[in-house]
Amino acid sequence: MIVNLEDLSFVRRGKTVLSDVATVIPDGALTCLVGPNGAGKTTLLHILAGELRATSGKFLIDGSDASALSQKEVACYFSLIPQDVQPPPHFTVFELVALGRFRSDKRPLWWRLSEIERDAVHSYLARCRIEPLSQRRVEELSGGEQQRAWLAFGLAQEKRFLLLDETLDGLDIIAKQSFFRLLKEIASEGKGVLLTTHDLDLVTQFADKVVVLNDGSVSYEGSPNTNLPQLFSPNNG
Amino acid sequence: MKRFLVVIGVLILILVLGVLIGVALGPVKVDAHRLLSAILMRGDASAHVLVWDLRMPRVVAALLVGACLGVSGCLLQSSTRNPLGDPQLFGLGGGAAVVQALAMAGILRTGTWGLIALSVVASLIGAGAIALFASRQGISPARLALIGVSLSALAAAVATGILAEARVFSQQSLSFIGGSFANRGWSDVVPALPFFGIGLVLALPVMGKLNALALGDRVAANLGAEPRRTRAIAIAASGVLGGAAVAVAGLVGFVGLLIPHLARLLVGHDIRAILIISIPLGAAVTLFADQAARLVFTPSEVPVGLVTAVVGAPLMIYVARRVL
Repeated sequence: MIVNLEDLSFVRRGKTVLSDVATVIPDGALTCLVGPNGAGKTTLLHILAGELRATSGKFLIDGSDASALSQKEVACYFSLIPQDVQPPPHFTVFELVALGRFRSDKRPLWWRLSEIERDAVHSYLARCRIEPLSQRRVEELSGGEQQRAWLAFGLAQEKRFLLLDETLDGLDIIAKQSFFRLLKEIASEGKGVLLTTHDLDLVTQFADKVVVLNDGSVSYEGSPNTNLPQLFSPNNG
Repeated sequence: MKRFLVVIGVLILILVLGVLIGVALGPVKVDAHRLLSAILMRGDASAHVLVWDLRMPRVVAALLVGACLGVSGCLLQSSTRNPLGDPQLFGLGGGAAVVQALAMAGILRTGTWGLIALSVVASLIGAGAIALFASRQGISPARLALIGVSLSALAAAVATGILAEARVFSQQSLSFIGGSFANRGWSDVVPALPFFGIGLVLALPVMGKLNALALGDRVAANLGAEPRRTRAIAIAASGVLGGAAVAVAGLVGFVGLLIPHLARLLVGHDIRAILIISIPLGAAVTLFADQAARLVFTPSEVPVGLVTAVVGAPLMIYVARRVL
């Protein structure tokens, strides 16, 4: 499965945020979206998640046009972990990840996790190496542990793509490295992972593909083995 | 689930006890045998009137108002992600209070049914304002609470002004502002029942989605929980329930604010469990508060809102310190 963006533009209150963005986001790969602040990275992620609609251009999922789909339909393909996401107060890690199993089409009055669902939650907790913390409150965890809890929540939704928006800000380098390693493993198992970040060293080290956004347009896409800082626009960088 | 059932079971026992106290105790003494016969509708006429026409409607009014306020607060708190969510604090009850004040002042002349319907409509207008503000991206819980408190204070000022201008008896005004179940008959309670039903029918289908709303609008939308629609329905349901409660009992404070927090302590974070528990829990707290309001100072009585505040304030301080 592949996501194709063809000449995608987005204008907000007369200001062009994205202009003619064309790129491919493959599954089974860790794609990093980099660029200076205000380059349009978050907007692009929100278009992919169906929250915003592109002003013009096409957005194809496996060759079929997704621009006309409703937010709910588009969201079936992408799990989004937004920037500055706040854990709900008092939720344990298990409860947070279990919410990832929420299905809006299945809502019996007494919705309880079946054994199968419970096992699935545990498997994603184990996958993100936070199972020992499953009964701890999310807000009590360290930044790195919280991010792994959110990652498990994203994975528990079992969607094809995972969109992560600057989730690593504020983490120390060890936590960032271990998170990138985890993302790389998840991508190698077949999931498409798209991450916006400012950590160019880690991008060079771990990403399968990098897309550089400058002033709302793609200025580079391809392998991370290049001098990434130089690709940033001098005006913004 | 086991814990949930135990809590429900205990609450039902407490409710049965509360109902028995409500019909058995009072200025007129009735012995156990006459009381039981009257409850089973086999008693003498005077006991029957005492139990079924005087005491039981008041008990049912307290149960109904408590349940309405509990669910209303739970819906507001979960849909706006705001621990201060309460129909009174957020100004939903304020609209209904103005309608009630107009009726007490004799400006608005309509039957009980019409008055409850108008209260619900006024409360829905307050709910609409809150829903509008709550849907704005990035509005903080504190700002939303400030807006709600301001709306509520404004409505309270208008209602008090109407009562003062019309020279409504201070006793009557006090029991309205402090909330009271005194002299409630079936004709006051029965018209509120359908609104309780409507509120619940609106709320039950969105309960599951309210859980997803705890994660923030973006994540909730990504899960398919339609945050705006879900919030609008939840706040509308809250408005219907809050309006009906004010129409029956006036402004009973603290119940809507406190009950969802207590329910959370009892059954955990699942909004569905909290919402269901809020029905018997709100009913029980309000019923016992009313028993205290009418029995402690017999033969006179105090507004029930005074009791809920005296009991609710320390509990709320405990919850705020320990849980929030």
